[in-house]
Amino acid sequence: MKTGTRILLTGGGTAGHVNPALAIGAALAEPGSETLFVGVKGRAEEQVVPREGIPIRFVRASGFPGARPSPAFARFLVDLAFGTAQAAAILLRFRPDVLVGTGGFASAPVIFAATFLKKLRMSKARVFVHEQNAVPGKLNRLVGRYAEKVFVTFPETLSLFPGNGALTGYPVRKRIGHVAPEEARARLDFPVPEGRTVVFVFGGSQGSRSLNRGLVDALGDLMPHAGRLFIVHGTGLFKGGGYDAQADTAARLAARYTEEERARIAAFYTSRSYFHDIASVYALAGLVVIRGGSGSLNEVARMGIPALVVPKANLPGDHQVANARALERAGGAEVLYEETVLSDGHLVEVLDGARLARRILALAEDPERLADMSKKGRDVLGIDAAAEIAHHVRLGHARTGIDPTLVPAPSVVSNAALLSRLEKAAVAAGRSYRVEDVVEPRDLTWFRSRAASLLVNDEWEARNLGVKLLGLLDAKEKVPLLLALLADRTPAPLLQRILGGDFAQVGFVRRNVYTALGRLDVVDAGVEEALLSGFSDPYWEVRAEAARTAARFAGRLSRHAEAVAALRRGLSDRNLEAAAAAAEALGVLGSEKDALPALLALADYRFWKVRAAALKGVLSLVERGEVRDREKLKKALPGFLLTSTDFRPQFEMKLSYRRVVEALSRGQEAAR
Amino acid sequence: MIFWIGKLLAPFPSLSFLRLAEYLSARSIGAALTAVLLTLWITPKVIWWLQRRAFVDQVRETGIPSAFDKAGTPVMGGVVLVGVVTGSSLLWCNLGSGYALLVLLGMVWFGAIGFIDDRAKMMARSGDKGMSEPKKLLLQGTFAALLVAVLASPWTPLPAAEAARLHLPFLKTAILDSPWLYLPFVFLFVLLVGNSVNITDGMDGLAIVPSVFAISVLGVFGYLLGNAIWSRYLVYPFLPGAGELAIFASAFAGAGIGFLWFNAYPAQIFMGDTGSLSIGGSLAVASVLLKQEFLFVILGGLFVAEAFSSQVQDKIGIKLLGRRIFARAPLHHAMAYNGLAETKVVVRLWIVAGILALAALATLKLR
Repeated sequence: MKTGTRILLTGGGTAGHVNPALAIGAALAEPGSETLFVGVKGRAEEQVVPREGIPIRFVRASGFPGARPSPAFARFLVDLAFGTAQAAAILLRFRPDVLVGTGGFASAPVIFAATFLKKLRMSKARVFVHEQNAVPGKLNRLVGRYAEKVFVTFPETLSLFPGNGALTGYPVRKRIGHVAPEEARARLDFPVPEGRTVVFVFGGSQGSRSLNRGLVDALGDLMPHAGRLFIVHGTGLFKGGGYDAQADTAARLAARYTEEERARIAAFYTSRSYFHDIASVYALAGLVVIRGGSGSLNEVARMGIPALVVPKANLPGDHQVANARALERAGGAEVLYEETVLSDGHLVEVLDGARLARRILALAEDPERLADMSKKGRDVLGIDAAAEIAHHVRLGHARTGIDPTLVPAPSVVSNAALLSRLEKAAVAAGRSYRVEDVVEPRDLTWFRSRAASLLVNDEWEARNLGVKLLGLLDAKEKVPLLLALLADRTPAPLLQRILGGDFAQVGFVRRNVYTALGRLDVVDAGVEEALLSGFSDPYWEVRAEAARTAARFAGRLSRHAEAVAALRRGLSDRNLEAAAAAAEALGVLGSEKDALPALLALADYRFWKVRAAALKGVLSLVERGEVRDREKLKKALPGFLLTSTDFRPQFEMKLSYRRVVEALSRGQEAAR
Repeated sequence: MIFWIGKLLAPFPSLSFLRLAEYLSARSIGAALTAVLLTLWITPKVIWWLQRRAFVDQVRETGIPSAFDKAGTPVMGGVVLVGVVTGSSLLWCNLGSGYALLVLLGMVWFGAIGFIDDRAKMMARSGDKGMSEPKKLLLQGTFAALLVAVLASPWTPLPAAEAARLHLPFLKTAILDSPWLYLPFVFLFVLLVGNSVNITDGMDGLAIVPSVFAISVLGVFGYLLGNAIWSRYLVYPFLPGAGELAIFASAFAGAGIGFLWFNAYPAQIFMGDTGSLSIGGSLAVASVLLKQEFLFVILGGLFVAEAFSSQVQDKIGIKLLGRRIFARAPLHHAMAYNGLAETKVVVRLWIVAGILALAALATLKLR
């Protein structure tokens, strides 16, 4: 590059974007070059960048709140417009030759401004973009095609940028260098015994609650193997909102283990809230247990440390899971998913201590596997990404050229897309729907686990999605979670209650739980209890759905008599839909003695829909052979008022048309 | 046009009968007849042409059985409506009148928006993916702003004193006389009313008859308020020239009846967004020009109820509370869901609209 190259870096809003930008900037910098960073005030970059000695300018930007019209969206647009104008001004003044964006909303205005100015031929800056995650963020998906090159971290992301993608890995700042083990041991402020596999567990600088708690729980199972392990636990600095990482971990340890046990634990476990000298810990670690953030994942893989990744599910774009699975496919990591379980009647996401212990042991006691993972991680992600990127920028092509075919490229189906696919299949297959026909068994466990974790989401739409998915995914083991949702009688906020709401677990969610229970086809004490309480739910659609589900379980209910009695009471429901559903269900569950008289009593009910349902109920009774006194029924039947205010029209030509089509296809079948 | 021809040629002794063309009543009847006959003549051709070009309606999942057999019915009947009304109005209206021009412009503008929306839905082959809401509102808002601008300008057809006044149906005097408050109100009114007919257009024949009632009542108001004697007698502001709205309304009523000939159950053609938006636009502009904005609550009460029930069910029920508030929305779906056949729902709602129209007329005397 000519001397005096002007480099503009942008990226931020959240920390994971700033460090890669600085790393790339460092690789691109040369004597005589000038660098400028553009970010958002009050964000990570404001603190970090000046410490590197790079000047920083600010523009306005705010995070993308979702495409629905709302005041937040309006503000986002205003901020974006303003910020783009500011960025354009900076670009015109600084006149960069090279512009590198690493994502995050802070870079959006700059990238937009650069693209506009380039189109207007007012800027000659070459625009480069780096994507840290396996699944690209919205910004890069939108503007990536206008960049000269899009540098991706994982091979599977290449397919999304067919024209201008380049596989470079994740740029890491030189400060996390390699340290020799002896030096590391000397530098650390706690002793690390020789001859043991050091397992470093940490959830980033802030820590991770489920990871911390899971590890404490796992210590009990790890105790017998104390002689071969040494656990270094980074609890994180998080303090607030009811969780204090350091204190909570200590308290949990004290609560779970006796004094004697804690003494034994101390022999192979130590914890700190933060490690200033993380490089030394890395130098000694034989295995890390981390979250799925792209930064730590890449750091670890580059250094060739095998990883057990516990991704946080259901983040935007599910990026932690995608990253974890990408590294898993490359062979550099194993993935352990959190589970949604019932705890004290509440649904929570936890990392099961026993499972964590099992996975740690399986890996720690298999040095060959660890060596293999280390190699594979380094092969795929161990390249000096910053140098690669600099090479691309200066010379226009790759330096080492990693083989992207090292890793196959599937896509991660979102929950919503999965639901749509399953619903279509269910409608097409009807009674013969089997989830295994639609979903790979390998993915099934993950999809179920992911759907279950939706059940603890703050938004009811997400919980609703989870409920529907669990039903269609045939996740029978999750039935207790669904029942817990039903039993949750937390009231809705006051405003909603005034407008007609009832519980925090809204009507749609409760109704869909019953639908899912019907699909899952599990009949136990808990389910029966739920059915019986469903018959008297405040929301009519729930009452109707409970009745329909009870009908599906005909012949398998142990509390049969109670159900029939409840359905009989349901016949006088003020709501038409609920009453009609009760009538039809009664026909399927009841008998001549306990159901028929009640159904016949509806023969002249005012609303014909209920009359029609009662008639259907009578039909069910007859078909099931429950009616012995046929003559009596025949005499009572004319009592049914058969007039109704509705009818089904038939279009004669459409009928004939369908018959022609059917006849043709039958003819084809015969001809085969 | 006939108005001008009449004015031009009437002085000639042998053509003195052409003086009839100056009378509103004569021109109204002429407009109505022209519209009806034209619609009856042209619609079958349009149906055939549309069906051949596969301009068929996209089905939405409603859970109401009768809707499913409708896929395959041509949409865009609104184009006929707009075309015939425009033609008939151009023929019979006094085109020098600002009233006529403004209401025509409103109808055509909104109709055009509806047309683009219908086309977009057809291209996407889905009833749910028409033009985006923000775009629609932007285009409608542009017209509303234009209307407001004209009303506030020297070219306003309204008498200057009345231009910024807001009236209520039962009160003899205006409750408001301030451009700063009135004009924004008109802006919002046009947006709301313009879209109100849209929701009602969900069953065969449902939207057109209440629309005909509504526009006819507004036509009557136009005739009376444009007449110096009547307006003084009824204690209404005198709006010279408003009688042209009666001609427009007659044309519309005629076209509407002609449309109903084909749109009755089972429908051979739908009006689509082209039709419902053009009706909404006409009602909105006419109401504003006659200073009868609040009358729409009674006159267009059916439209209001349908739109209201739909919004409440969607925004409060489904989005906020996560449950349905009404069994179904909008109103006509609720009636059908509870067991009423579609034809019965439609006729009953016609009756309701008729009663509301009569009530609106009654406000003429109830002051």
